[in-house]
Amino acid sequence: MSSLEADVLVIGGGSTGAGVVRDAALRGFSTILVERRDLVDGTTGRFHGLLHSGGRYAVKDPSAAVECIAENRILRRVAADCVEDTGGLFVATPWDDPDYGDLFVKGCEATGVPAEEIPVAEALRREPRLNPEIRRAFAVPDAALDPWKLVWGCARSAEQHGARILPYHRVLDLEVVDQRVVGALVRDEHSGEEFRIHSKVVVNAAGAWAGQIATLAGCVVNVRAGMGVMIAMNHRIVNSAVNRLKFPADGDILLPLRTACVIGTTDVFVPDPDDTAIRQDAVDLLLDEGEKLVPGFREARALHAWAGVRPLFEETHDVAETRDVTRSHALLDHLAREGVAGFVTITGGKTTTFRLMAEVAVDAVCQQLGVERRCTTAEAPLPGSESHTLYGLDSRLAAREPVPQSEEIICECELITRSRLEQTIKRRATTSLDDIRRLLRLAMGPCQGGFCIYRATGILHHGDRVDHTEANRALVSFLEERWKGLHPILHGDQLRQARFDDWIFQGILDVEHLPA
Amino acid sequence: MIYDTLVVGAGLAGLTTALRLTEQGQKVVIVARGVGATHLAPATVDVLGYLGEERVDSPASALTTLLSDVPGHPYGRVSREQLGASLEWFCRRLERLGYAGGLDHNRLFPTAIGVARPSALAPRTMLGGDLRDGGRFLFVGLRGFKDFHPSLLADNLAHARLPAPVTARALELEPPAERRGDLSGRLLARRFDSGELTDWLVRALQGRVEAEERVGLPPVLGLRRADETLADLENRLERRVFEVPTLPPSIPGMRLYDTLTAALRRAGARLVINAAVVGAQAHDGQIESVQVASAATTMSYRTHSVVLASGGFASGGLTLDSRGAARETVFGLRVAGVPDEGATRFVAGYFDAQPLSRAGVAVDDLLRPTGRDGGPVYRNLHAAGAILAGAVPWKEKSGTGISVATGYAAADAILAPSALGVSGSIG
Repeated sequence: MSSLEADVLVIGGGSTGAGVVRDAALRGFSTILVERRDLVDGTTGRFHGLLHSGGRYAVKDPSAAVECIAENRILRRVAADCVEDTGGLFVATPWDDPDYGDLFVKGCEATGVPAEEIPVAEALRREPRLNPEIRRAFAVPDAALDPWKLVWGCARSAEQHGARILPYHRVLDLEVVDQRVVGALVRDEHSGEEFRIHSKVVVNAAGAWAGQIATLAGCVVNVRAGMGVMIAMNHRIVNSAVNRLKFPADGDILLPLRTACVIGTTDVFVPDPDDTAIRQDAVDLLLDEGEKLVPGFREARALHAWAGVRPLFEETHDVAETRDVTRSHALLDHLAREGVAGFVTITGGKTTTFRLMAEVAVDAVCQQLGVERRCTTAEAPLPGSESHTLYGLDSRLAAREPVPQSEEIICECELITRSRLEQTIKRRATTSLDDIRRLLRLAMGPCQGGFCIYRATGILHHGDRVDHTEANRALVSFLEERWKGLHPILHGDQLRQARFDDWIFQGILDVEHLPA
Repeated sequence: MIYDTLVVGAGLAGLTTALRLTEQGQKVVIVARGVGATHLAPATVDVLGYLGEERVDSPASALTTLLSDVPGHPYGRVSREQLGASLEWFCRRLERLGYAGGLDHNRLFPTAIGVARPSALAPRTMLGGDLRDGGRFLFVGLRGFKDFHPSLLADNLAHARLPAPVTARALELEPPAERRGDLSGRLLARRFDSGELTDWLVRALQGRVEAEERVGLPPVLGLRRADETLADLENRLERRVFEVPTLPPSIPGMRLYDTLTAALRRAGARLVINAAVVGAQAHDGQIESVQVASAATTMSYRTHSVVLASGGFASGGLTLDSRGAARETVFGLRVAGVPDEGATRFVAGYFDAQPLSRAGVAVDDLLRPTGRDGGPVYRNLHAAGAILAGAVPWKEKSGTGISVATGYAAADAILAPSALGVSGSIG
């Protein structure tokens, strides 16, 4: 059995794990990150995309609010290319407690979240589709955060500093010798090969799965999975992040994300973080809440629904309501807790504070290793963000416009060229169109891959590396995966689109009868 | 002026009904929001390609099983004689496009991803692709036309389940172009019509086609003179040449639409495109006039009969709201086969049977939409094509067959209602 060695082994390829591996690599440690699936396939790739100002937590969870506004300012600088400065609003609809506004003002003052009350008319001027019955409005520095660019940016930066990033590598066991975690047994999910990674410290950044990983070292982490459903709507119905002015609840955030906008979210404990089937009542709830913010929302065109699982950490299981669990992160040093050395868990938290979580986790690593190395992630920009220029909605079009018709556009919705697709397929050496989707946003537009996925399959097969069975599997798995997010929201124009796509894939191409 | 029949929708079903009625002497007007699904579908006529998982060889015999398995299927409203007559009529009427085939045996044509797909009838430009007798095939892609991937097609076809051995290989050519951008099907079709690409293709393929090989091309051989181009290519290459259908927009479908509408205009029918039916007046169970909104005005059309051929969910003839209530969008007819509110409309497996799939307008034996009591909503309103309940045409490969057969049968029902009756069913 072959083996690898590193100072720090990071488990989990979401924002937390990617943040940890980058931070550790920048501090000069040799590092490896393993993720059982693709990077950003878990919670980070399934959240609404809000870079919090902290306003949401200003009343109920002040320490989370303080962290949010600090990290918001840092990420605008170091991860500028992942942030669209949409701004945010908190608005009181007729359904919201009118007294909450004053609590909000006090909470924002106490936590340092800049919130400026603006006239309702001004809020409606900024967001003409908002319910004209709103009674109060505050402007806050919310923004939209691209989780895929963020995580891949961290991963690339870490690689530039010697890290090895291993997606599709599952941890089968942790090796514990004399109360010390000395490494992990890992399986390459593509080749099936099993091997060991020897490390000085293992950082458990497995999010909602952190409890499962901790068990492998004989430790206990009470992390529960709080499932949240989100729906992407066609068009930017709003151009800034719109929050309800009330205690955090279901379906109270509507924010723009590139050319679409997202409403979120619901919040229920689920026993298994891998079981996130979307129920019709969750979809109905979100559509009804959306209708309160934007009249006509219920029958507007929905594009796709998905669910993510928040890692909700509590020392005990006493909390019945997911909304009552703090959104602050938890650092668990298992040496202090259970006498197990070389093992640190970082969980809880949220994507907005991922960098801070990574910092405290790597500080704990330094402590365990008895070294002092300063964190630099608050200053060092991610690859692509060196100029500190914030992402703009027009950036893809701006890149295409000077050279129109210079090459084929494979995905018209997301303006993805043939060469960009070919390069990405080659670089990732993947046969999964879903992996490509997460990197390029392939098939994330209104037609949800109706046109581009046949083309992408043909291009995937075009080289020598992928034979027809793999190409067919890529296409069929993509369609099956896509349908999981489509079938809960099919009505109106998106049902029309889906039926049209049925005609393309089943009616014209007859993909049900591809050779196995 | 009173029309004999007003047809809603300019897809294959509406055009079939209109042409059949016009040639029988009726004054017909077609009112449509736009072109129909002809521009989206391969121009083949697919009567029945699959019964469940089984590929159908003979639609004639498989239809009996289909109708006993699925009693509400649209083919149950068409007699066997009508179905046969509709296909013969279609071939005869569209002689210029050279349709061939019939109900006894499906032909097998490659799809753009390399599956052997069954069709009852195909136009001349596709006939050379029939896979039933096996043989050697060369598929040629045109760089810049991104909706055709010959190497994937050939690789899949070489592994397809076929009655006779097939070998397939691929070749990609770069057509002369000023830029490296997208080459659309329409653009390529126009350049074939002008002869420019025909000459280039013959030169480019010189010495590269092996003996006995048939040459499969993307479906872009021209909008106006594809048949001449095909003959020219076959003569000069000394090989069979054929088109392989792919993603919309469908150039072969446009030819079909252009041929049908030209025949209609010649026969004296009127086409009002970019217009929507927004209301109707009925008296004593009969529609007497229909309101049509077009540009800035709404006009009233008086008519003796109406055929509703506005399509299914894909075309906007049917729609579903966010609470799961379905609506027929022109006359507000009852939509049958819709799961109750709160019941499952779609299941999580993409290829599984979906509860909403067979939803549509239920009709009587004269193809008249029925109310809850089973009787016709209007005595002179008929429905045809994808709007009908009971089929899953994209899975059955039955869409165009249903459109031609029910479009034809709706015309029969209008022309001679008394000659038909409940005895006429295929089953």
